[in-house]
Amino acid sequence: MPHDHPHPHNRPLSDVELRVKALESILTEKELIDPEAIDLIVETYETKIGPRNGARVVARAWSDPAYKERLLSDATAAISELGFSGVQGEDMVVVENTDEVHNIVVCTLCSCYPWPTLGLPPVWYKAAPYRAKVVKDPRGVLEEFGVTLPEDTEIRVWDSNAELRYLVLPKRPDGTDGMTEEQLAELVTRDAMIGTDVLTAQ
Amino acid sequence: MPTLTPDVVPGLIATGASARLDEDVAPTFKIGDRVEMKNINPVTHTRLPRYVRGKTGVVERDHGVFAFPDTGAHGLGHKAQHVYSVKFSFRELWGDDHAENMYLYIDMFDDYMKAV
Amino acid sequence: MNGIHDLGGMDGLGPINPAKDEPIFKDDWERRMFGLFISCFAGGHYNVDEFRHAIERMDPAHYLETSYYEHWLTSLETLLVEKGVVTQDELAARKKHIAMEDA
Repeated sequence: MPHDHPHPHNRPLSDVELRVKALESILTEKELIDPEAIDLIVETYETKIGPRNGARVVARAWSDPAYKERLLSDATAAISELGFSGVQGEDMVVVENTDEVHNIVVCTLCSCYPWPTLGLPPVWYKAAPYRAKVVKDPRGVLEEFGVTLPEDTEIRVWDSNAELRYLVLPKRPDGTDGMTEEQLAELVTRDAMIGTDVLTAQ
Repeated sequence: MPTLTPDVVPGLIATGASARLDEDVAPTFKIGDRVEMKNINPVTHTRLPRYVRGKTGVVERDHGVFAFPDTGAHGLGHKAQHVYSVKFSFRELWGDDHAENMYLYIDMFDDYMKAV
Repeated sequence: MNGIHDLGGMDGLGPINPAKDEPIFKDDWERRMFGLFISCFAGGHYNVDEFRHAIERMDPAHYLETSYYEHWLTSLETLLVEKGVVTQDELAARKKHIAMEDA
């Protein structure tokens, strides 16, 4: 018998799909949520909030020493100068990678992550293997990302277990002296701002 | 609280809800203090992970006053207190076979720490 | 609590396998779940600490086998039932109804 629903009809709904639909439908009926608000929240995080925001912060810090100083001393305020603020970025700390020091961010207890600058976290960041290993064997973790650092590089791992959220200011790649802020932002990867990548000028 | 409607969404996302509290609470510790994490094992919520309990570190930064999740998760109020970035060597956390130039920084509440 | 969520320093959990490219949400139910979390939080039905603790109280095997958004779903169901916003029976009945309509 033909009937209309919005999903392709080649499999029955899974248990989690049913649970989410049941919750949304009951809460909508009780007028405790508005499905259109959900649409807008999802659209915002799919189209407006992501690591390109963080890349702009990094590129600005590389280009403007006064901005970098503000970013390292009061990250929340400096980041909001560029228009990025809010949920899961209310209280920010930025840590700087240098020739001597490499920083890596994790949340061992859950999946805390700076949403306004990096968007929603990748699956591996939230999953058990990374959270378990990076506080004990960060060099081993970096190897899994294809990154090898010199033995004499100091490694600092930041566990964002409380309400501070961390962003890594990656080291500016060599050979980028003439680049504009926009060109620099293009070089910055999400993983470099978590600390599991190092940047090159390509 | 009212039902979240689309007109409120952009403001909500751009503002968030900071756990920082505008309360005048004196810090128990200061930057440079050597501190030991308490060995507590509550069956309730805590942000003091097992791997730093009983370990000694150094206060690196005072983040200011925040709500305490251990009480907040159980309807027991904010219990406003300072949160610090505390630095531990990997050797302290994991043993002497770890490299000397590796450190772990974690955010610790006043209630988690005692002076060494 | 000394739960499965307290993972720092644990060995043997396997490779990290970072994906080169992945969608922000891999399924539509993850989109809805994310929006439900924000909406119910904004509605004042729980605070973030309660939400985290309800994840920590998950069955440990279930915790390790499921994704982040399923953790959120489990936490949201737990809290809304505990706070009397919905009942288990309501959720079960609505699930059954939706499954029948889908068949």
